[in-house]
Parts: sequence; structure tokens; C-alpha cells
Amino acid sequence: MKTFEYLRPTSLKEALDILKNHDGNVSILNGGTDLIVRMREGHSSPEVVMDIKKIPGLDQIQVDEDRITIGATVLLNDLGLNEVIKTRYPYLAQAALSVGSKQVRNRATCIGNICNASPLADTATPLLALNADVHIYGEEGIKTVPLKDFFVFVRKTVLKPNEIVTGISFKQDPEALGIFTKMSRRKEVDLSTVCSTVMRTGTEYRISCGAVAPTPVRLFKTEAFLSGKTLTGEVIEEACKLAEGEVVPISDIRASEAYRREMVGVMLRRALSEWL
Amino acid sequence: MKFVGTSVKRVDGVKKVTGSLKYVDDIKLSKMLYVAVKRSPHPHAKILSINFEKALAIKGVKDIITGDLFTKRGGLYLEDKNFLAVGKVRYRGEAVVAVCAISEEIAQSALEFIDIEYEVLPAVTNAKDAMKPDSPLVHPDLGEYKWAPVFFPVPGTNISNHYTLRKGDAKKAFETADFVVENEFYVPHVQHVPIETHTAIAQMDADGFMTVWASCQSPYAVRQALSEAFDLPLNRLRVLSPAVGGGFGSKAGTTLEGILIPFAKKFPDHPVKLTYSRQDEFENAYVRQGLHARIKTGVNKDGKIIAVENEFIWDGGAYNEYGVNIAKAAGYASAGPYDIENVYTDSYCVYTNHPVGGPYRGFGMSEIHFGIEQNLDMVAERIGIDPVEIRRINGMKPGGVTGTGEVVEVAGLMECLDIAVDEIKFYEKSETVSPTKVRGKGIACGWKAPSMPTNAASSAIIKLNEDGTAHLLVSAQDIGQGSDTVMTQIAAEVLSISPEKITIRTGDTDQTPYEWQTVASRITYSAGRAVFEAANDAMNQLLELAQIKIGLSKRDLELRDGYVVSKIYPDRKVAISELALGLTFEDGSGIHGPIIGRGAFIPPNVRNADKKTGLGEHPVVFWTYGAQGIEVEVDLETGAVKILKVVSVFDVGKVMNPQLLEGQMEGAIAQGIGTALFEELMLKEGKVLNPSFVDYKIPTADDMPEMVIKFVENPEDTGPFGARGVAEPAMVPTAPAIANAIYAATGIRLNTMPLTAERVLNAIKAKNNG
Amino acid sequence: MKTMIEFTLNGEVVECLVDNQRTLLKMIREDFDLTGAKEGCGAGECGACTIIVDGKALNACLVLAVEADGTEITTIEGLVVDGELDPLQVSFIDNAALQCGYCTPGMIMTAKAMLEENPHPTENEIREGISGNLCRCTGYKKIIEAIQVVADQNKA
Repeated sequence: MKTFEYLRPTSLKEALDILKNHDGNVSILNGGTDLIVRMREGHSSPEVVMDIKKIPGLDQIQVDEDRITIGATVLLNDLGLNEVIKTRYPYLAQAALSVGSKQVRNRATCIGNICNASPLADTATPLLALNADVHIYGEEGIKTVPLKDFFVFVRKTVLKPNEIVTGISFKQDPEALGIFTKMSRRKEVDLSTVCSTVMRTGTEYRISCGAVAPTPVRLFKTEAFLSGKTLTGEVIEEACKLAEGEVVPISDIRASEAYRREMVGVMLRRALSEWL
Repeated sequence: MKFVGTSVKRVDGVKKVTGSLKYVDDIKLSKMLYVAVKRSPHPHAKILSINFEKALAIKGVKDIITGDLFTKRGGLYLEDKNFLAVGKVRYRGEAVVAVCAISEEIAQSALEFIDIEYEVLPAVTNAKDAMKPDSPLVHPDLGEYKWAPVFFPVPGTNISNHYTLRKGDAKKAFETADFVVENEFYVPHVQHVPIETHTAIAQMDADGFMTVWASCQSPYAVRQALSEAFDLPLNRLRVLSPAVGGGFGSKAGTTLEGILIPFAKKFPDHPVKLTYSRQDEFENAYVRQGLHARIKTGVNKDGKIIAVENEFIWDGGAYNEYGVNIAKAAGYASAGPYDIENVYTDSYCVYTNHPVGGPYRGFGMSEIHFGIEQNLDMVAERIGIDPVEIRRINGMKPGGVTGTGEVVEVAGLMECLDIAVDEIKFYEKSETVSPTKVRGKGIACGWKAPSMPTNAASSAIIKLNEDGTAHLLVSAQDIGQGSDTVMTQIAAEVLSISPEKITIRTGDTDQTPYEWQTVASRITYSAGRAVFEAANDAMNQLLELAQIKIGLSKRDLELRDGYVVSKIYPDRKVAISELALGLTFEDGSGIHGPIIGRGAFIPPNVRNADKKTGLGEHPVVFWTYGAQGIEVEVDLETGAVKILKVVSVFDVGKVMNPQLLEGQMEGAIAQGIGTALFEELMLKEGKVLNPSFVDYKIPTADDMPEMVIKFVENPEDTGPFGARGVAEPAMVPTAPAIANAIYAATGIRLNTMPLTAERVLNAIKAKNNG
Repeated sequence: MKTMIEFTLNGEVVECLVDNQRTLLKMIREDFDLTGAKEGCGAGECGACTIIVDGKALNACLVLAVEADGTEITTIEGLVVDGELDPLQVSFIDNAALQCGYCTPGMIMTAKAMLEENPHPTENEIREGISGNLCRCTGYKKIIEAIQVVADQNKA
């Protein structure tokens, strides 16, 4: 690992100044479970490592009547074990607890999981299904970007060098039912071969998948097909076919493209069948 | 018995649970230097030039070496290997240049300033292709190498060993067989994955005496290899193995130690250290060789197998100094634990441009049984009998004859099989869970012999102290299996003193006596027998002195609870503490001096088999037999396999320590499950695609099923208290039993490991599509 | 570049001037000679380096040493109090829940943090709870049993 300057700002403003003063050579250290491995392997050699964990207020899960906001430094374990999240949004809790090991989740954050923009980010699929918004702090203050527009490509987001994600929020939807599914080679402490969240709210459906495209994705065509329909065996089969066609997975050492496609169908079929 | 056969607590327990045991990487010495290694990016290439001037100029870099300074080849059975590449590289990751610096960081950062020019050569990346006459040669000079006379390299080819077994007339028998079943199987490369990666430190004194600390299973083997490679006399080279964080074969022989010696020689008094990263461990430590197996079985309607023909092609990788013996072991075990009259086997170890193959728990047995035991189920199905029945008909029984023509007196296979069948409730149908999840049960047997030279020796020393305690010195290494505890138990039993009164010291070629290697499931048997002999020697000395002291004949005396006691008059006794330094008379004079027991052992009457036929009266020391029954659940839509229950039953001769033995059996099952379901070192054009835990998964606690462990005890005559080895055999039946259970559940046969969800699903779909 | 930090290590307040790029694991092993925590992979996959920081089990290989400033850290060496082994350590020995011992310190620290958080885990919770700690020797059964024994003592 190459040496670097270690800075620990105590306000967003200070953090922003550090970003500006170092012209893109800053790596934000949150949980660090990804960054430290990347630095060690030489994939990342920043001049400055900026630890944001001492910025007050970012470590809260704020539950308002109509919205829930997850702060930037909220740990995956704290998210997954939060009573409100567990009760009302169990699929989000499950997704959070499906990342890494207990030790990793004691360090890794939900926002870090999102900002890494891995195609198979486990917490991305429930948050995509919840139509979550990403809150970004920059020179013009706070701006909000829908999560679906936040991801650009593998490990690429719309985030600019002089911006910090302060949190992610979603509108409370007491009626929403969701099912998170993760398929992996090994049940515990593994990356998703594929993962998905299937959500029903009223007569609408929202479907999101990970590890089937360069970014986590929503399956809008399949959602549109299901919208307003009464679920029957035939409808489900049709939806599964559509979903399998809508994803664009690749073959890699974890699974083939064909297997991933087929599993998208299986996950959707199993989820929808719960609501038959 | 008081100590043998009971669950004496581990003697190394406190040190291990407190984290105070020092493994080699934990050792900190003053003036330490660190080594980093520049490795080949090509699987096969000629080295045209090496330029390290820039790297050498870096502040803190002490020295840089390349292979052309050390051209003497070495190897355990076949001398085909250098510590640093000489002239060409033969696998991706081969060590080419080594840098020695004052810190790990400097050594590591210097690597990028070393320029190596290569001429890329065509790579051999498939063992079957390597056998073809037009294949590029990995070792064109094979004919000039030296090898042990029990191996058969074929110069001018990539074959580093061609083992042949010819029993009876298989060809003729196939002609008369009612059915012939033939199948091919493939088992990929896997990694041992000890949690401690390989590490070593070397330091030379000012007077030229070399000390090496290595996380190794066999300090004497390391000493021998380094002595030969660097012309160091054995009395001026000390190898210590203070603790080993898991071995499973990967720390047998030598791997990285040799790279350190030139630096240690150059910088006297400076300890020089090299620790493998996890990536190094995946790519540059031994791997379990890949296997292409073809098995052909001729059987009569009544279920009696009359002939087998096997072809095993082992992907030994770039250097086969150790791998040649795996091909041999697989060859002589190729009939499996079955009594078959006609056997025809060719087992080839083959050079490829893959990572270096070497010993892994089971030494070829897990790989060949994946084929043998599945093929047997297919044979049974073909003639319409069940998997248990075919094993009962053909399984080895006392008085049976092995594939190498040896008559066996002890064989508890049938008892093991019966217990496994009973415990897994083989004849009761599995529960039905859901339309998309099905369950099934499978059975597999297995056998293994210690794969070692016929004269592999052990020794032990016991020193009595004047307070009645003792020191036990051996070089059997506790690599986790618990040998320190079992050796202590054996000594305690014979001397009739409690295990707490015995301190065991191991792993120091200057201080602890010779042990060939801690491999081959031979330690409890062989080193244990040496300890037994040493304790008996000490006992005899005590009895000699006691008969003078007590005035009773030695045959009427025995050791009991720290005393030499008369068998007839129990109150006539003398404490062993009184005799530990010799017998002193009332006039002050003394005789004999300190009691030091000496034990040495070579398994008796093990002789080389015939070179051409492979037949012999007693070519291996013993066979260990066992059986497993496994129940699985298969998800028909995803292909995911869940192991529900494993029953494992082995004939261990004598249970020395039930708790530790269970631990060996359970650990073996875990490795069996891992390799069966998801472990594979994925190779593409010689490149390891998954050299990390991110993509090379081993089982976690969550993957483990219910385990039922049972033992059969038919004693091994020459073993201590009747014990024989079992830690490797315990892994052998797991993968095929899982495959057989998947078949029972789904009707699909998978001939390629691992049995990943995707493979299972594809097979289910292929079957459904007819 | 270096940073001066202060933290509590096994009950004692300590200071250290550390290289910014040094991991917490490296610091406790090299600068404090506490070698119970091991580096098994350096990537947070094996758990051999598990220590407890502010009550939470962490992979010390995934934390920078500078981040330890102001924290309270317990390593395996801190579990022995006045020469008495922790109940988990005793139970690991009694139940033969270790073999080569390399994963053992990390495994015990994970179990320690787990039992602090949840004194009465179910068998499944134990299995999941220690799934970030790889053991290649034991097959885990005896480890699970050893933790279960201490959890049962908690109940009593």
C-alpha cells in the first residue's frame, strides 16, 4: 500500500474543502472494506484518504412519517437489525445482512455498498425497488438523484470528484410487500451470482436485479406487463419469460449468462407465486 | 487402559486459545530482512534477459538473485525443480527473481523495477493433450534428470511417471463378462487452503551454521532438500517447525525455503523472511492435481466384478517431483477396496504448464474414488442390484486379495458399510419436501494406504526427570491433527504417569529425533509406535533398577501411577522419581545414570512391488477401510445441492482419543463437501482465475450438515495399541457419496467435479429433455 | 506519512505513531507484539484477524491503524483476566474445538462479540455468526458446540 495523507473532517463543509483542495486525488474512507483491499492490491493509490466517519449526523437512520433516510455512515448491520427496517422493509434488512460476514457488516455501510456501484450490490435491488433517492452534497448544496439514474456502469456513478453522498432515502410505503432473493455459490459470505427484489404495492410491481447487467437494474418492461394484472400461473410464466429476456447478464467464473438469465426467471416465479 | 482411548484434552490447547503460540510468521527477530519474489506472467516461456540494476539501486534493497546462480535441480522423488527458474519458466507464477530488502514494503516495491524479457513458448494446458506425441515438451531434458528407481518417467514425452498394474488377464475376463460398464470422470485442481499461508525464515551464524524456521510438516525432509541443494552438511543445518497452521499436504516437502538460503548466506546474522500472500498460496503452493480418469468394469450377472481397467491421467503441472508418487499411489489403489481378480491399470503423471501439483489429503484417493464409486453404482444399476449389495458382494473381506495381489488379513469394510447403511437409513425413502426440492441418499466406500517409501522411519526419545516427570522428543509435527496429544497419551500409558507430567517437544532437527514426514496418515501409527518403543525402553530400564532396589524379579514388577510396583505385594514399590537419574545405593554409590528411553521404527516387511506388474506380497504397510452414507437435497429449479446428513464409519484399528478422532473425521467431511460442491482452482491458459477467497470458496460453519461419526476397531498388529491411520481416508468417500446421493434424488450423473448448481441444473434439464 | 494516535488496548491506554498506510492488524502485531490475530487473507474473507473494537467484532486487516484513534480494542490476548481463561477459551479446549489453532483466536473473538450482543444464540445463529471465520481443520461442529456450551452457561 502506498502512503497517503489521512484526513478526518468533522463537517461536510470541511470535507468538501478537502475534496476541492486535492483535485480528485481523494478517496473517501467510509467502512473501508472495499477501499483498503483496493489500495493494498494497488488498484487505488490516492494522495489523500478522507475518513468521513466523524462527520456528525451521518450515522443515523431517520424515520419520518413519510420518508426513511439512511445516513452515509450507517453500518450494514445497523441497517439490517433496525427494528423499523426489519418490520416494514424486511427485504431491505435481509439484503443488508446478506453482504459479507458479520465482521464486514460491522464496518461496511449501505451507502458504501451503493457508491461502489458493483453490478451485484446486494442493497441496491431493494432500494431500486423502493424508488430510493441518493442525496449528494456539493458546491451547490444538497441535490437529489434517483438511484436508478445514479449508476452509470460497472463501478461508475454520476458522482463527481467534488461531491459526497450524504445518504439515501425512500418514501414510506406501508402497503409494499417485497421479497429479496440472493443466489450464491455458498450461502454465507459470498457474492451474489444473481440477486433480486420483487415488490408489490397495490396492483403495481417493481422488479430489480443484480449481477445481470453492468449495474443493478429495474426490469421496467416486465413491471409494465404485470401492472394491474391479476396473478395467475400463466401471467407469472409470461412475466418470467419477459424478465429473462430483459436482463443482459454476462458469463464469468461464478456462472454463465444462460444460468443467470434462467435464475432471474426462477427468482421472479418464486416471489410472485407467494402472492398467488 | 487409563489414557489411551480416552479424550485427553489437547496438550497444545491453552497456547492456541490464548493466541500465545508463535507460528513462524509471528516470530520477530532483530536485524530481519525481507524477501519478495518476481514471478512469471507466462505459463511457458524462455527467459531471454533479466535486468534488475534499477531495483538494486533502490535504498533499502540489499541484494537480488536469479536462478542461474543455483542451477542444481532438486526434488523428493524426481529431481526436476529449482527454487528460482533457470532458463525458462514452466507455469504462470513461477519464481524468477528474488529481492531481499530491509522491509517488506521496499522488497515488494522493488519488483516493478525489474525487467524480464521472455520468449513465449506454446503452453501445455491440458494433461490429455500433453500425452499426445506432437505436444510441446515441458521438460525436454527429462532424460537427464535423476529419479528414485520405483518411478518410470518417459524421456522425450511429458510423462513423468507411468505406473502399470497387471493382475490376472483383464482382457480375457472382459470377453466373458456379462456386462461391461465404462465411464470417464474429471476432477479439477483444488487448493489445500491452510489458514496459515506458507512462511519461512533463514539465518546463518557467523560460523556458517544455518537455521531455518519453516511452517512445514516435515522438518527433516526440508533439511534434506536444503542440504542437497546448497551443499550444507546436515550437522550445520537446523530446521525448526515451531507450529503449523494447517497443512493437508501442502506443507509436506519444501516450497519456498530454498529462496531464502542464498540471502541468509550472504548476510550472516540477518534473519531473512518470506511469507506467502493468500494469492501466492493459491498459485504457488502445491495444488491437488487434476485427474482425467477412465474406468471400465466387467461384471457377471450375479454381481461379481471380474475385471477392471483403469486409465488415470494426472495433471501434475510444471514440476512433478512429488506428484509422481500420487500417480503411483492411485495406480496401486486403483481396484478400490474390492476383491477383483483381473486388474489392468495405467496411471500417468503428466507435465503441463499448470501450477505445481503435490500431495493433498488423500493423496489421489479422493480423486480416483469419485470415479470408482460412481462407476460401481452404475454397474449395480445395470445388473439390477442395489448399491449396497454390489459392495457387499465385491468389498474386501479378511482373506481377500487386493489389486496388487496382496492377501489381507484385516479388513473391516463390511462392518463399516453395515453401520453406514444403518445410520443413514439407506433403505428408508427420503422425505418428500416440495415439488421443486428432492432428496436422496448415497453410499460410497473408500480405502487408502500410507503412500510412503517402504522404509519410512520414525524415532522418539523419552527423558525422565528426577521429580517423576518426563520429556518426550519426537519430530512428528502437530499440524492440527493432535499428534502432540496422542504421542503424550501413548507415553503416559506405558509409563503410567499422567499426561500432564509429560512435556512433548517437536520440530527441531537439532534436538528432536528423526521423523521421515508428517504425511500419509502415518503419524499415530509410525511415530506412535516409536514413542511406544521409547516408553517401553524407559520402562525396562526402570524395572532393571527397581528389581535391584526392591529385590524382586523384574517380571513381577510393573509401572503404576508413578511407581514401580510389585504385582504380587503392592506395598513393595519405588517411585520412578527415585530412579530417574539412576539407582543410588546406601553407601552413596550409584549405577546406570539417567533414564533415557529410545524408540525407533520402520514398518516391518514392506517391500517394493514388481516394477512391471505392480504386484507384491506386501507393498504397503496397511490399508484403512471405511464407508460413508450421505443424504442430500437438490433444488430442481436452481440446481443447488444441500447436504443434509453425513454418516462416516472407518476401521481405525484402535480409537486413541475419541474427541480428536471425531475432529479428524469431521474436518475430512468438510473438505470432502467443499471439493464436491464448489472448490475448483479455475485455470485458463495457465492462469488461475480465482486466486482469492472471493472466488475460491471453502465451506463455512453454515455449510456443514448433521454428522454421525462411528468407528470399527480391528487392530493393526504393528501399530501402537492396534492403531492405524485414518485422517486422509476419512475424506475419500465424501464426494462420490454426494454424487451417488444426487443420482438417487434426481437420476442425474455428474462425471465432473465440482457439482455446482449450474452443472446440476444443466444435467437435470438435459435429462428432462430426454 | 505518520499519525499519532491514542487508544485503549486490552484495558490499557496506549499511544502509537503509525504509518498512515499501516493496517490495524499490522500495528497490533508489529508495534504491540500481539500476534494472536493472524493475517489469513488480508481481504476480510477469512476472519483470522478478528478483534473487538468498541464492542464490535472487526477484521483488523480491513481497518487502518489511524482509525483506531480514540477506540477501545480487545484482542485475544486481552481475554485472559488475572490468569483466568475466558469461559469461551475453556470451552474451546474442553470441546476440542480447535486443531491447527490458526483460526482459533479470531474464531473466539467473533464468538465473544456475538455472545455479548446475544447471550442466547440458537444453533443457527451461531452458524451464521461465525460464518465469517474460516476453519479448514475442524468441520466446525465442535466449534459450534463449544460456543453453545458457553451460551447455555449464560442461561443458567
